[in-house]
Amino acid sequence: MSGTPNSERIGRADLSAEQQVALEALLFRLADDEFVHAERLTEWQIYAPTLESDLAIANIAQDEFGHARLWYDLLKRLGYTEPECLWERDPTEWTHSLLVERPFGDGDWADAVLRGYLYDVAERIRLEAVADTSYAPLADRVGKVLEEENYHREHAVNWLERLTADDDGRGRVQDALDELFPYALSLFHPGPREEDIVEFGFRTEPVAEMRTQWLETVSPFLESLDLTVPEPDEVERPDERGRDGTHTDAWTELYDEFTATYHELEFETPATLRATEE
Amino acid sequence: MIWEVFRQEAPGDYHEHVGNVHAPDREMAKLFARIQHARRMQTNSLWVTPREEIGEVSAEDAAFDGRTDKSYRWAMTYNEIDASFAEEVADSESEQREAARKRREALRDEGNEA
Repeated sequence: MSGTPNSERIGRADLSAEQQVALEALLFRLADDEFVHAERLTEWQIYAPTLESDLAIANIAQDEFGHARLWYDLLKRLGYTEPECLWERDPTEWTHSLLVERPFGDGDWADAVLRGYLYDVAERIRLEAVADTSYAPLADRVGKVLEEENYHREHAVNWLERLTADDDGRGRVQDALDELFPYALSLFHPGPREEDIVEFGFRTEPVAEMRTQWLETVSPFLESLDLTVPEPDEVERPDERGRDGTHTDAWTELYDEFTATYHELEFETPATLRATEE
Repeated sequence: MIWEVFRQEAPGDYHEHVGNVHAPDREMAKLFARIQHARRMQTNSLWVTPREEIGEVSAEDAAFDGRTDKSYRWAMTYNEIDASFAEEVADSESEQREAARKRREALRDEGNEA
């Protein structure tokens, strides 16, 4: 995966206070994106167009929950509890991108497929940018996740090619693209501590570089399907940023929904994402 | 469109029929088959094939050689030998014995009905 031996990376005990703050910011963004994306995707369960696509999307959602678990687990080792990471965390402290919190229109499968594509390409670029991270425990986990993300991207690409095969389908995907594109750009909003994250080597690429890579990947592919990709610098941007904790109204609703059971049941110890604590 | 799915567990094994998936084309069929028939199982390879490409032989047609006694075809000369030195010989004999028994039963049932 990378040439750096783990002995030359930073371990948990070596972190300075400043480094830890930057690392936590990076990990929360990774984890929150995966968790919220998965949370939205599960809404398709029993509603996807066919049984097979239902199983596929549910499976992808489960993978993403699994990835979220890997990243939240690294935060737990830095001293956070699961309720602090998820169930009791203030919704304004979540730093996922706006793309993953957007609600789906009723039966808007084109949105689900396109969103998956836009997200999965960004996810691969981001994982590659942390593959040679200076933080040893993070480096250990990236490889496996990258393998699973391949299936997700293949799934999205195959669907997009087929949905855009006729005018009706292509129109639906174009609508989804016009709707989602401004929110997708928030994947690359720098957010607090961006300079530190790069300077300490937790991520080896700045987000501006990742944004360029993303545009250079998604634009030619979408255009090859006869879709019109909005001009990134000309689209009307939402006021919210995502990475800084500001979110669209859809997020508040989603947050209330997935924390409702936790609050109703008043668990002394909530169900954990991991079966056993390490 | 229905695609039949065959899974091979380890290299050298036969591909065994494990079920089917609905998919519009081969690529999607493979994609769905991976989720439904490979993900949780030990899998070395998966085949997908359109159901209409499968040729079927019915029970009646398959029984074409089942009407007469075939025991004269058995490798009788080996019967005086303890076949345990070659597992496949013993297996083949017991298979043939079993097949002969089923044929006899089938013929007897037909006779009872008549």
